Amino acid sequence: MAKLSPILKEALIHLFKKPATRKYPEEKPKIPTGYRGKQIFDINLCIGCGLCSRDCPAKAIEMVEVDGKPRPLFHLDRCIFCYQCAESCPRNAIKSLEIFELAATNKSDLIVKPKASGAAGGV
Amino acid sequence: MPTSINGILKALGDALGGKILQTGTLRPEKVLVQVDVGAHRDAIKVILKQDENAGVSAITGVDLGKTIKLLYHIRACNTIITIGVELPKENAKIESITDLISGANFHEREVSDFFGVTFEGHPNPKRLILPEDWPENVFPLRKDFTAPNFPSKTENSGALKDNEQVSGDDGLVKIVLGPQHPALIEPEKFILKVDGEIVKEVKPRIGYVHRGIEKAAESRTYLQDIYLVERICGICNACHAACFCQTVEAIMGVDAPPRARYLRTIILELNRIHSHMLLLGHAGFEIGYETLFHYMWRDRERILDIMEELTGNRIIASFITIGGVRRDLKEEMIPRIKAEMEALRERMKFYKELFENDSTIKMRTKNVGVLSKQDALKLCVVGPVARGSGVNMDVRRDEPYAAYNEIPFRVITYDYGDSWARLMVRLDEVVESANIIQYALEHLPSGPYRVRVPRIVPAGEAIGRVEAPRGELFYYVKSNGTAYPERVKVRTPTFANILAFVKIAEGINIADVPASFISLDPCFSCTDR
Amino acid sequence: MSLDSGFLFRVLIFPGFAFILFFTMFCDWVERKIEARVQNRMGPTYTGPAGILQPLADFVKLLTKEDIVPFNVKNFIFKLVPILSFSIFVFAFAFLPIDGANAILNSNFEGDLILVLTLISIANFFLFLSGWSSTNPYSATGAARVLTQFLGYDIPLFILALAPAFLARSLSILRIAASQPLPFALVIPWVFVLFMITLQAELEKDPFDIPHAETEIVGGYETEYTGRRLAFLKLAKDVQIVLGAAIAVELFLGGPYGPVFYGSPAFWCALWFVLKLLVVVVFTEYLTCVFARLRIDQVLVINWKVLLPLSLLSLVATVGLGLWLNPLR
Repeated sequence: MAKLSPILKEALIHLFKKPATRKYPEEKPKIPTGYRGKQIFDINLCIGCGLCSRDCPAKAIEMVEVDGKPRPLFHLDRCIFCYQCAESCPRNAIKSLEIFELAATNKSDLIVKPKASGAAGGV
Repeated sequence: MPTSINGILKALGDALGGKILQTGTLRPEKVLVQVDVGAHRDAIKVILKQDENAGVSAITGVDLGKTIKLLYHIRACNTIITIGVELPKENAKIESITDLISGANFHEREVSDFFGVTFEGHPNPKRLILPEDWPENVFPLRKDFTAPNFPSKTENSGALKDNEQVSGDDGLVKIVLGPQHPALIEPEKFILKVDGEIVKEVKPRIGYVHRGIEKAAESRTYLQDIYLVERICGICNACHAACFCQTVEAIMGVDAPPRARYLRTIILELNRIHSHMLLLGHAGFEIGYETLFHYMWRDRERILDIMEELTGNRIIASFITIGGVRRDLKEEMIPRIKAEMEALRERMKFYKELFENDSTIKMRTKNVGVLSKQDALKLCVVGPVARGSGVNMDVRRDEPYAAYNEIPFRVITYDYGDSWARLMVRLDEVVESANIIQYALEHLPSGPYRVRVPRIVPAGEAIGRVEAPRGELFYYVKSNGTAYPERVKVRTPTFANILAFVKIAEGINIADVPASFISLDPCFSCTDR
Repeated sequence: MSLDSGFLFRVLIFPGFAFILFFTMFCDWVERKIEARVQNRMGPTYTGPAGILQPLADFVKLLTKEDIVPFNVKNFIFKLVPILSFSIFVFAFAFLPIDGANAILNSNFEGDLILVLTLISIANFFLFLSGWSSTNPYSATGAARVLTQFLGYDIPLFILALAPAFLARSLSILRIAASQPLPFALVIPWVFVLFMITLQAELEKDPFDIPHAETEIVGGYETEYTGRRLAFLKLAKDVQIVLGAAIAVELFLGGPYGPVFYGSPAFWCALWFVLKLLVVVVFTEYLTCVFARLRIDQVLVINWKVLLPLSLLSLVATVGLGLWLNPLR
């Protein structure tokens, strides 16, 4: 007869342990730096080359006219958060925030427009 | 006794003589032998005589304008030898090879579905991936394909013709498993013909999750394609990206720098650990053992946390690119990862003891769904399914890629061939992977982690093979000198393993079907692409 | 006995219908919390303090859902079964002493043990009918499995229940519970262990979980039920679990009788009953968590080749022990 299954003791010990689940949304998880979340775009660094839009695998970046110059508009509902745009950008104008709670009830909330000149962000 | 590739080439030259049109190399250093139409069967017979364990790895079709080229990639002597045949497009007929190698069944059906090639002598020439009501004579992967106008669904009941009555004419009851069923994670249909409680015959129908990725890859640049092929399968995404990048680097003649190769190894092994733990937990759930499921997935969370720190996301890594990797590994992470691997090894000892001693697990999985070594070799199965039946094959050892030629590790096989053996293979592989990651971290070379590559890839074709968690993953990429690939062919491991399910399920008790099915680790997104 | 307010109070509130209902929901919460803690997660947390209102919330939610009756079912049986099996299980509670006496005073009689066990069999048969009347292949398979499994364990259950009846020289549950100066679990431990295993099969919990095997047959006999009927079917299942544990407590653990410290005996009896029942419930739930699910043919082998002979042998051993302890005049 083989030994007793080790799960008997393990299950008993677990009855007295703290649960491994977290009480979300009261307790939020800790997000490491470098997480690929929502984009933050600095319009002052952008030169309008359009490489981000050309390289995007999901066609989520559209070049629109802002102050007569082409600037990227992000469609977050199509974005796959691969950050190829950030890699292709020659001026490092696109960076990542550690925001992952992006659910919205309105599709227009998920479009990140480039703000007019002077203001940084676009978040 | 299998001889080397040169021996095979010499034997081919002797046997076929003038029927060989050309011998060349398919990068990287793989042999391509182009033969006359009709001589492919003789070529394969010669290879089988030299190495009786040879099997089909994939059958690729390429549309070259006026002709269709068929490439038979045969796995022999631990490497791939390709037999190429060109057929005229108007009269695309060729003899089938299923009587020589039974594992070629699904591969030929797929080529006939997508390219319109007729395989004479095939035992079951029905549609494999495209739906029943797809119009005739429209072949998606040909270059002159235009999307047809589909008639509205209410008029067309072609798909429903497949659902026959519950009680057939031979007195057997038909039970349909899927496409929606709690036992399956992803949708496919299996029609089981049951006599009392014993399953007599299984008819699989796949293609419910087909998204046309091979065709979509032809209209995106190489850089965009990396992200596309990553999403063929969520669980083994790093392997798809690695295989694609390897293949394209082979066409370009570029080598990733040493640090990048080690980092690729680390992410591939992390991917393997998380996939195996996912499956072991899921197997527990299928046999009614929910506690095992919860414990295993809780331990898997720590691996996902490491991946999140390393790559920026928990599952889809997007870490590998053409020419190297996209991010570097920070020095302060190394001791943390090593501590996690140590903790993982300790936990795996508990699970190994559980699987070896728990009576209910053994009652559900021992001697259930047995696949003998002979059948495993004939059906060309790959991965832990083959290793659980005693077949000693592993691409990491047979044809090392990334940094595997510098890292020592064991290839794990079990001889029983039942569901228990297949699950134990995966359990032991988790421990092996933890060891590989530890070794790679200790010997990580310094230097650049990426080289810049041009966006336009020179003309050429190449093959890549990677050991995904489910088995051997095979890629064939052909480039015509522009920024868009001409042909990307993906042969995923579960595609090669579905035939094993058909063989296993014949003659077993119907209550054993979920347990044996889940031990094959099916991933249907991979199968259908 | 007259239909005065005392009688109505005993039947409807305590220890009658309302007590059984709320105690069942409490036991359901205890089970879910135990299962969750064994699996290292939280269990019901948000509804009410520590999630204690969760079973009530589930019941009320199901009552508000749409009631769909499929076209082809056998109408009368389909609609009748949930409430009928629920009421039979609750009715069986009337013969168990909860606060020292039955809910309807003086309703115990010689042979009510047999009656209670028969009521359980009948109610299980109705659960089978619920699956059979649904005319859905998944329900039919689930129903067939329920029947196969309870045919197997019913006989050992009866035989093992006779052992404490022999030691107490009575077939009335009240008398058996009352004649245990030392709980029978300690006097005849082999019968107790076998009874717990058979109980696990009767309550359809792992490893004998096969009628509920979600991964193979979707919902088993519950597949076609929605709304109110599903609420009562689930409640019937929960009451069955509490009833099975209560029988184990009465027959083997001394029922509600225990040391009385101060105050009214009825309060202490009820308290002991609740505590002992919770112990049994926690133990059966722990066993559920640590085993996988066996196949139907393995369950049959265990029932007919292992449980039945062992229960006959243990009955013989008990008779021997009883005659040695208390020789017949």
